[in-house]
Amino acid sequence: MARMENIIQVEQLVKKFGPLIAVDGISFEVRKGEVFGILGPNGAGKTTALECIEGIQEPTSGRTVILGLDTHRDGAKVKQRIGVQLQASAYFDYLTLAEILDLFGRIYTRHVPPRELLAKVGLEEKAKTTVGKLSGGQKQRFSIAATLVNDPEVVFLDEPTTGLDPQARRNLWELVQQIHHEGRTVVLTTHYMEEAEALCERIAIMDRGRIVALDTSMNLIHRLPTPYRVKVKSSRALPIDQMAALPAVQHVSGNGDGHVYTLDVSDSASAVPALLTWGKQQGVAFEHLEVRPATLEDVFLALTGKQLRD
Amino acid sequence: MTAWYMVIANLKMTFRNRQSLFWALVFPLIFVVVFGLFRLDQPVTSKLVVIDQSKDSISRALIDQLKSITLIRVDESRTLEQAQADLQGGKVNYVLVIPPELEQTVARGTAAPVPLGLSYDAAGLQNNQRMFAILNGFVDQANLSLNHAKPLIAVQGQAIQAKQLRYFDFLLPGFVGMGVMTYAIIEVATVLSLYREQKILKRILASPLPGWQFFAGIIGAHLVLALVQAAIILLAGILLFHGHVYGSYLWIAVLVFLGNIVFLNIGFIVGSFARTPQTAIGLGNAVTMPMMFFSGVFFPTDTLPATMRAVVQYLPLTPMLTALRGVALDAKPIWSFPTELGILAAWVLVTSVVAIRVFRFS
Repeated sequence: MARMENIIQVEQLVKKFGPLIAVDGISFEVRKGEVFGILGPNGAGKTTALECIEGIQEPTSGRTVILGLDTHRDGAKVKQRIGVQLQASAYFDYLTLAEILDLFGRIYTRHVPPRELLAKVGLEEKAKTTVGKLSGGQKQRFSIAATLVNDPEVVFLDEPTTGLDPQARRNLWELVQQIHHEGRTVVLTTHYMEEAEALCERIAIMDRGRIVALDTSMNLIHRLPTPYRVKVKSSRALPIDQMAALPAVQHVSGNGDGHVYTLDVSDSASAVPALLTWGKQQGVAFEHLEVRPATLEDVFLALTGKQLRD
Repeated sequence: MTAWYMVIANLKMTFRNRQSLFWALVFPLIFVVVFGLFRLDQPVTSKLVVIDQSKDSISRALIDQLKSITLIRVDESRTLEQAQADLQGGKVNYVLVIPPELEQTVARGTAAPVPLGLSYDAAGLQNNQRMFAILNGFVDQANLSLNHAKPLIAVQGQAIQAKQLRYFDFLLPGFVGMGVMTYAIIEVATVLSLYREQKILKRILASPLPGWQFFAGIIGAHLVLALVQAAIILLAGILLFHGHVYGSYLWIAVLVFLGNIVFLNIGFIVGSFARTPQTAIGLGNAVTMPMMFFSGVFFPTDTLPATMRAVVQYLPLTPMLTALRGVALDAKPIWSFPTELGILAAWVLVTSVVAIRVFRFS
């Protein structure tokens, strides 16, 4: 495999606000052309880390390099070549979409015509409307159009789908994939594990200012001691301790009322036959049996002992 | 070049924003219209009922002379009872009773002067003094001519003020200063806190645009707007209410420009402390209101107690208004106001330094 070029390097990045350590010495690289995700709960330090990398905030210590340039020493040069979308940001209330894109475009040496940008995000008919008249999903798409005014090589998206309904979220995912297919590197933060799984080639899981794991979503899940989940529904209550003693089963969680049990298993190929045999011995009929891989939610729980969303 | 586009964009936004236009134009124009409509320097006329019980040549002469005074409306139609009831009821201001047989009594000669009875409402102090002065003047004159005495001293009036200077003319430059101040402080503070809340400032920080160019756009647009604002206020005052400007419009523009820079800086400072646009409006009003009342928009600061005047003269609006009035009303050149210009320059300097110090992007 050809050696992949790193487009972003983060080395021992620390950001403190008084006694609070928002980012606690993180290091990672982003490869050219990949979609890189930073997944973590609210308050994990994702936004602060991103803003330090983008050159908006001064880090307390550490180094951030984009396209071979230090983002703090060569800030202006870096900013010409990156696109930044801020979390829950807005744009001028009294300018039309086309006027805003035109104004932002003039800031950069290289810029894309507003009409082309609006067409890309499916808002060409809204060129003469103001941001206030757009729906939540349209606003988010417009803010992505605004990050593309300078035809950037690297695009940063901070929580791009927070607050959107499922349909609008899917539309936005398609847009992110389209940006990726144009050959741009995308770095995004999210607290939705489905989003990280759907969009990102590699994911850094962040908690309390630290990166607790970094890999592809498949590798993160497979690295778990129990990468599979077996869910069964039985006709009557079952002894949990007996199920937990079956081969390859590590943990059983059960819902007593509906007789639904979830088994964390290290190997589904040996756990499922053993479970079926044990069921036959017990004289239990399984009404429903499903095997699925663990999720990033399970990974986060295993790594931090917490739920991703509280 | 980009800063220039920022100026244009800011002007566009202002003209599309109704709230902004209200503070820029409607607010000061309300003052121009209200103060233009009231006849502030037209003296109040008094209604004088004369009960002439004498009806001879002396009483007639006196009444005719009173009628020639524009400030007094003479009424002879009422009876004494009616007149006294109307004085009580506030329908008339004075009742003058000329006793019977005035001419005969004077011709006979009397030990004590014949009293002309004047009833009045004690509350109208200023008007009462004026009325006594007028009546005494007539009576003195009558006494002199009846005694066949020759006047030894006379007042010789000579109108020397060629231009007509009214209270409204005094107010007009005040409204220019007030309008420019209110708009610059409140609008900049609001916009700044809004841009921070909406993360527009942070978005600018994420772009290669140098911060000063973004603010140059805001400041540039405001300097243009302040001149438009001043022009509209003056024009409305002159065309609608016959206001007067005697001096150079260039010096007025220079003073508006200078004052505006101070107020824009104050707006930036207020906007740096206000977390939301609502707080910005509140804080902005807290800063502009005292200046509006104490810096001499409505009344000359000379009428304030000396200790207060000593403080108030250093507020930025005070020297701006003093110089504006000197330039606009007395047609003086701008360099006749070195103290005022000095105070303004000091404000420009201090507020610039503070604004840069306290400003924050997020």
